[in-house]
Amino acid sequence: MKSESKIDPKLLEEILKFGKNVIDAPKLVSAPDEISMEVTPHDVVQEIDKTRLLHYRSLTQKQHKTPLLISYALINRYHILDIQPEKSWVRNLLLQGFDVYMLDWGSPTSMDKYLDFDDYVNGYLDSSVEFIKNESSTEKISLQGYCTGATLATAYTTLHPESVKNYIATAPVIDGWRDTTVISNLAKHMDVDKMVEIIGNMPPEFMYYCFSVLKPFEQGIEKYVNFFKNIDNKKFVDSFLRVEKWLGDTPPIPGELFKQWIKDIYQDNLLIQNKMYVGGGHIDLKKINMPIFTQVAVGDHLVSPECSMPLHYAVGSEDKTLRMYPTGHVGMIASSLSQKKVLPELGQWLAERS
Amino acid sequence: MEPQSPKNAADYYKHLSLFWTDIIHLMSSKPQALASVGPMRAFASNAKKISTEMIAINESLIGFNQFLTEYYKQLSETWDTAQKKVNLKMPDVPQDVEQMEAFKRIWVDIFDNDFTELFDSEKFGENYGKLVSKELELTKHWNNISNVILQSANLPSKEEIDEVYKELHSLKKRITKLEIELKKGGNK
Repeated sequence: MKSESKIDPKLLEEILKFGKNVIDAPKLVSAPDEISMEVTPHDVVQEIDKTRLLHYRSLTQKQHKTPLLISYALINRYHILDIQPEKSWVRNLLLQGFDVYMLDWGSPTSMDKYLDFDDYVNGYLDSSVEFIKNESSTEKISLQGYCTGATLATAYTTLHPESVKNYIATAPVIDGWRDTTVISNLAKHMDVDKMVEIIGNMPPEFMYYCFSVLKPFEQGIEKYVNFFKNIDNKKFVDSFLRVEKWLGDTPPIPGELFKQWIKDIYQDNLLIQNKMYVGGGHIDLKKINMPIFTQVAVGDHLVSPECSMPLHYAVGSEDKTLRMYPTGHVGMIASSLSQKKVLPELGQWLAERS
Repeated sequence: MEPQSPKNAADYYKHLSLFWTDIIHLMSSKPQALASVGPMRAFASNAKKISTEMIAINESLIGFNQFLTEYYKQLSETWDTAQKKVNLKMPDVPQDVEQMEAFKRIWVDIFDNDFTELFDSEKFGENYGKLVSKELELTKHWNNISNVILQSANLPSKEEIDEVYKELHSLKKRITKLEIELKKGGNK
């Protein structure tokens, strides 16, 4: 048996350099805990229970008349929409002349385990909309929902169409049975009654586990290898650590809200069948008759396009637009593609209707 | 009552434990009545709950271990299959930077595909659901044991605290509705 190995010295050099980068890393970069996630200046204009309504300070002299409220997802925090100046969704919209508000759901504690869809949709979201309407002296606002925040925003829009002038659904979780992601498979087999009865709120660690099984080797190994390889690249490292910090900051989800979300969306798929009820109100997607802009990412491994797109076909609106982008769930909102393509298209659509 | 099978054995020991804790409780209740306000009295009167919970924990633990074994079996089988696919595609040890990069890409792609296929499968979802369910049962037993200790110190149990949370939530809702009604009335 003959074994001959001719290892290229450059390969050894690469391996040694990688080892050196790992050792040097703490000297070169900040710890995630030391990074501030607040990027674009804002004011907290309303606080109800643990939720906060943020109003971003204008960056232009002239603004469109209709304010925009963003309903962020229930998983992780809103910071991904304002992760760093050059990739900030919020900052881009401000620069396009929009008046932007964000609803921060906060971090629920055990005391909040009975908060349900009704509290979020007819309580927190409605209070925010009413506040913005009063503040800006308008009868209607534009509403954007992202991911699970779009599920809440969709329910809100059907129940309060008189308050929504334009609706933007970004990677919305709508049709659970068509969803082809791992999350959907785990959700379908979950005894959610038992979970909520015994532990109350959905623990953040469990949510983190659910996400860590998505692309486990690319996300669990390769991205960290790339991080250490590029440790000298300040821009790359800063962006990496911010996204990592955001990923690790997952608040619990109130038990009752989580129960209804898993049952009605993933297990029984009531929303797309127009069979869902929130606080006694019927969620009929045909009642969404205002202009609607649906944004879908083709490579979304958290909310598959098949799960989001049915909203476009189910609504009653005649002014409806569906856009698909060659990126992923986070890439659609916090990347150079989102700055160059996704946001300019949204801005143009919204400006024409604001 | 003679133990025949593991199930019968569990019932037998449950019965045995209940019998003796009940009898000891009845026999000792009279002399202990004097100390009826002390923590040990409260603890003793509820102590049998701990022994029944401990037996039930064992039953849940057997189920938990069964699903956990299946969970790791599925992971290791998928790992083996993926590694074999990588070996077939890249049989030689990478010799330079390009080959190493190609190896890394193939390894990550094959492992991601195979594991995603596993996590997407019915058999994984079903077993994982049962594993989590058993883990929840263990938590429930632990909660029940903690409640006995809490009650012996005259502290509210988890269920009692939950009742307060529920009541608070319902009160908040009622107040919000009243505020809205009031606002509507004011506007008129």
